[in-house]
Amino acid sequence: MNKEKLYDVVVIGGGPAGLAAALSADEKGASVLLIEREARLGGILKQCIHDGFGLVRFGKKMAGPEYAQTFIDKIEKSKVHISLLTFATSIEKCDDGVRLTLVNCDGVETIIAKSLVLSTGCRERTARQIAIHGTRPAGVYTAGSAQYYTNVLGYMPTKKCVILGSGDIGLIMARRLTLEGATVIGVYEAKPTPSGLTRNIHQCLHDFNIPLYTSQTVTRVFGKERLEAVEVTMVDENMCPIKGTSKIIECDSLILSVGLIPENELAESLNVACDNRTKGPVCDQNYMTMQDGIFVCGNALHVNDLVDYVSESGEGAGKSAAQYQNEKRRLVEINPDNSFLYVVPQRLNLEKPIDSVVMFFRSNIERGKTKLSVTVDDKEVYTKIYRALRPPEMERISIDFTKLPIDEKSVIKLSLKEVSK
Amino acid sequence: MHIVDQLNRKLDARFGDKVRAQQEGDVVTLTGHVDTWMEKVEAGRMCASKQRSYYIVNDIVSEKEDILPMRVPPIKDTLLEGKHYDAVIIGAGIVGSAIARELARYNISILLLEKEHDVAMQASSRNDGMVHPGIDLKKGTQKQKYNKLGNEMYDKVCEELGVPFQRVGQYLGFVQKGAKYVLPLTPVHWHKMGVPCKYVSRKELLEKEPHLNKEVVCGLSFPSAGIVCPYNLTIAYAENAVDNGVKLSLDTAVLNMNVQNGVITSVVTNRGTIYPGVVINAAGVFSDEVAQMANDRFFSIHPRKGTNAILDKKAAYQVQTIASFLGTASTKTTHSKGGGVVSTIDGNLLIGPDAVETNDKEDYATTKESVASTFAKQGIASPLLKIPDIITYFTGVRAPTYEEDFVITKGRKTKNLVHAAGIQSPGLTAAPAIGVSVAKMAVELLGESKEVTLNKNFNPIRKAIPRTAELSIEERNQLIKQNPDYGVIVCRCEEVSRGEIIDALHRSVPCDTVDGVKRRVRPGMGRCQGGFCGPLVTGIIAKEKGISIDEVLKSGYGSELVYNPTKEALQNE
Repeated sequence: MNKEKLYDVVVIGGGPAGLAAALSADEKGASVLLIEREARLGGILKQCIHDGFGLVRFGKKMAGPEYAQTFIDKIEKSKVHISLLTFATSIEKCDDGVRLTLVNCDGVETIIAKSLVLSTGCRERTARQIAIHGTRPAGVYTAGSAQYYTNVLGYMPTKKCVILGSGDIGLIMARRLTLEGATVIGVYEAKPTPSGLTRNIHQCLHDFNIPLYTSQTVTRVFGKERLEAVEVTMVDENMCPIKGTSKIIECDSLILSVGLIPENELAESLNVACDNRTKGPVCDQNYMTMQDGIFVCGNALHVNDLVDYVSESGEGAGKSAAQYQNEKRRLVEINPDNSFLYVVPQRLNLEKPIDSVVMFFRSNIERGKTKLSVTVDDKEVYTKIYRALRPPEMERISIDFTKLPIDEKSVIKLSLKEVSK
Repeated sequence: MHIVDQLNRKLDARFGDKVRAQQEGDVVTLTGHVDTWMEKVEAGRMCASKQRSYYIVNDIVSEKEDILPMRVPPIKDTLLEGKHYDAVIIGAGIVGSAIARELARYNISILLLEKEHDVAMQASSRNDGMVHPGIDLKKGTQKQKYNKLGNEMYDKVCEELGVPFQRVGQYLGFVQKGAKYVLPLTPVHWHKMGVPCKYVSRKELLEKEPHLNKEVVCGLSFPSAGIVCPYNLTIAYAENAVDNGVKLSLDTAVLNMNVQNGVITSVVTNRGTIYPGVVINAAGVFSDEVAQMANDRFFSIHPRKGTNAILDKKAAYQVQTIASFLGTASTKTTHSKGGGVVSTIDGNLLIGPDAVETNDKEDYATTKESVASTFAKQGIASPLLKIPDIITYFTGVRAPTYEEDFVITKGRKTKNLVHAAGIQSPGLTAAPAIGVSVAKMAVELLGESKEVTLNKNFNPIRKAIPRTAELSIEERNQLIKQNPDYGVIVCRCEEVSRGEIIDALHRSVPCDTVDGVKRRVRPGMGRCQGGFCGPLVTGIIAKEKGISIDEVLKSGYGSELVYNPTKEALQNE
């Protein structure tokens, strides 16, 4: 019987979250193994050759690969073990922590991790998942696939396309394809307001005269072999297509930027509880999921709009994983009301520091001047006034929960209320 | 009164003098003009014999929307010009491929023709993968006969061809209160039909399938029902046929035939004219058109669409077997055996199908309505089924005759012809038996002019592509040591290795498309639907086939995935 290798921390996924997690765990003195499925570190940043990364963290605009490289350089100098082209096929709980089965060119190996960080990123919603009907021709791509073809393989997925969804990748691909000589007929968005960051609406659409059509969606595709046309229909406030408002637009590709979903197949196999709002695991302020010793960060936890925050959560998760001692938790639930799309973390562990708890949230709708209020047993512990809130822009706050008495029976609530100007 | 007079009175009442029926032998031909396709189908159905005592040929012209012409591949060459084959099989679906493999047991030359770029492209890859136990089939029909024979062959055939097959059984649930008094008597009826059947109490049913609708009062169990991947089986049949000497010609459409004195002398295709000994019509939805070319048309196909939805593997716990509920809309729908909630051999749940008449034999477009109605119908079986769990859906087109039965027979007027036509559900189940039977008929016809001997070198065994994710750790390790490509996972959702993809590209049935690889080894079948692995698979195909990425096809000709290189890439060249 082979002796299984034992690590303090195993990080799954070598994107921005995983890199940060592995580095911070290493800095805390843990033995760390970083597993990456692809041949190179960097995750999705490898194909994000546009700039705008690192503004919050480094105060300058960097390209995706450039941003990733700052972490890769550090990790190569660290003691972190890196296993590339390696796939975790299964995870199971065991006495010493978790046992992972890994597959790569050398064969199958099982290892044991005292604690595990899931930084598996997210995946894109597909045409079928948003009920686009019709035939199944070539030329229907998610924005990420189109980006991979363009930026990594160096081939044009389209000459003339329609982009559905105004998510950030869709906006960035609108600009990218235009720069490469393709015609982007328009970006169509089913919601009444755009889904991407304001800065991307300006830099990617307005600056290139690409039209944005809101409250319209693609309802059907045509073409047997290659896409020949799409049917675009107006939708009502419930996003239901309005009869008689359809028109046919000829194009050779439909590029979808219709939402990202945290990738949690491995988490599911460990029965990690997930939050219906984020679609990622429920966690505490130390990024530990409801399974002891299993941590989560980056887009696997919730879909971030800035990589800088992804790195921050990776650092937090890596640090906590390195310090994990199998101690008991005392958890209090955090209850956002319906004015939020979501709030992360969803629990507070009273056994760990609560003096500067970092929370991320998104408003469920566009709001003007709005007051955020955090209460413990109906007493305000934190308030902040925002000039405006938009669902695509994720907000970050840091709260000191030591100001008020708090125990497991306490009720923590968050609410958003518009205030008159 | 003659049948035809009765029919004409019925037709008069509905269509006035616009439509007429004429009879010749046991074939009733309908002529005239109607407005819509549905009226044409209605006339055909009105006249169809419940006892199947005569056939319907529906030659009514529907003014606004008549049947659309067959789509033909854009290739024209002389690959097959002037070639002679003892047997020419038209259509490489499950039926044609099974016939090809059975014919390969004889020392004859065999050509299998397929108009698409791959085998199993039409109904054979667009059904629910159920191996039917034989419920709902009338005694004396071809369907019933071949379903029973085919079902019994499945274990052996799948074993030989290396295709996963499970006899999971089917449960038919009943919600009507009275059912528990009547139902215990019904297994006797099914046994007489050769269908193993058992009465199951509510308790027993819910023990086996704990997530079923709790309103169920009792049920029937059909243990001989099974599940298989229909295109996997078709590909396996075709590969084994080719391995045993059958010549497969893809992208080859039959355009015409020359018939002289009741004998097909040549078959005209887009790739040349072929001289056949015997011709086998396994052309699926086009089988009536092939019969017409062969001067032997006595039935008509009216295509019927059906849509199935596939759910994420995480929803698969709900049903372990095949579950259908009787007395619900799903089983009352005309001419659909109802389908149900089917656990697929690959671990997903499949829901469907519905049944909608269409004038387009290749109308594979899905509609929002069909997915919604399929879901609404089957939803009763398990209350936990959720639309957001759908990862994809697809549409198939069945090939029913108006008699709603298979046509498996030697030609009626044309001597060197065998029909395996009108094959709709349960065609997948019946295919192994149809293969044997049709091959026998073909050999009998060939035997009239030459001696046909057995092929002593016939090897029934096909080695499947290893599915590394399903191997034990030791087996997987060993395989990776031999070939490290089996250790590189390309498709994360379905855990498919690079080695498997390369295998799929180099087998006896040619495969060079993203969808072809997907059907063989499943990259892109999972919840991300190829979002991550699609471009990677494209890259592997380009490398293995020695072509550039912009030449790689998704499916058929004209389905290139990308165009020219980017400006940056052009500069680098």
